[in-house]
Amino acid sequence: MQDNITKLFKAIADPTRREIFHALVIATSALSITQISDQFDMSRQGVTKHIKILNDAGLVSMTEEGRNRFCFADPKPLKAINKWMQFYSQFWDDSLENLDNYLNKNKDA
Amino acid sequence: MTKTITKEKVFHHAIDQVWKAITKAEEISAWFIQADFKAEKGYQYIFTSAPNEKGCTTISGTVKEADPYRLVYTWIVADTKVETTVSWTLEPIESGTKLYLEHSGIENYAGETAIEMFNSFNGGWDNCINLLTAYLKEEVNAG
Repeated sequence: MQDNITKLFKAIADPTRREIFHALVIATSALSITQISDQFDMSRQGVTKHIKILNDAGLVSMTEEGRNRFCFADPKPLKAINKWMQFYSQFWDDSLENLDNYLNKNKDA
Repeated sequence: MTKTITKEKVFHHAIDQVWKAITKAEEISAWFIQADFKAEKGYQYIFTSAPNEKGCTTISGTVKEADPYRLVYTWIVADTKVETTVSWTLEPIESGTKLYLEHSGIENYAGETAIEMFNSFNGGWDNCINLLTAYLKEEVNAG
């Protein structure tokens, strides 16, 4: 399980991979390795390496059509982050409410 | 990609009173969580929730800034090794004190495990808060 986090970290830690991922997120259709390498002025091998890491992290899925591989973004793993955001948002609301109650009690005492 | 939670809240209390409530160990322990805490830069603090059958959660970190009226510390839940940062900034206003709270680095909780950690922490946390609240009702009024 820890591996998943490590992979996701590794995948999004690299700025080039973040750009590739972003390009896939905003693309209206899946992009081939060739299209990505053209867009980023990078060798097919370079793109393939990055895509493999993104794929391992679950951020990119691939389909094969003939000799071409098409990549598309899968932002699902990132949704977990939003759960944390919601959790902490509620947590701080509650905690600050407690702080307010605490201060009010002390004032009265 | 940066995920930060920001909260603003007005307290109708003097700034020093609010500052003490967020920096003094015994006061933090009263309204928030059992605290081994010193508002000194570099202090390694530990927040421990009241023990219960689940074992509860510890939060630890390092104080990064502690000059009135700004307090910053790192925030690591249990053994997750995921470092986030919490900062408290107080500002005097006419009706009392305005607090700006920031919790940044939440994107570090990336990954599928986040959901499970979230669920277990959530349950544990609620229990601890309930215990604390019960405890507080008796203790705080004495202050």
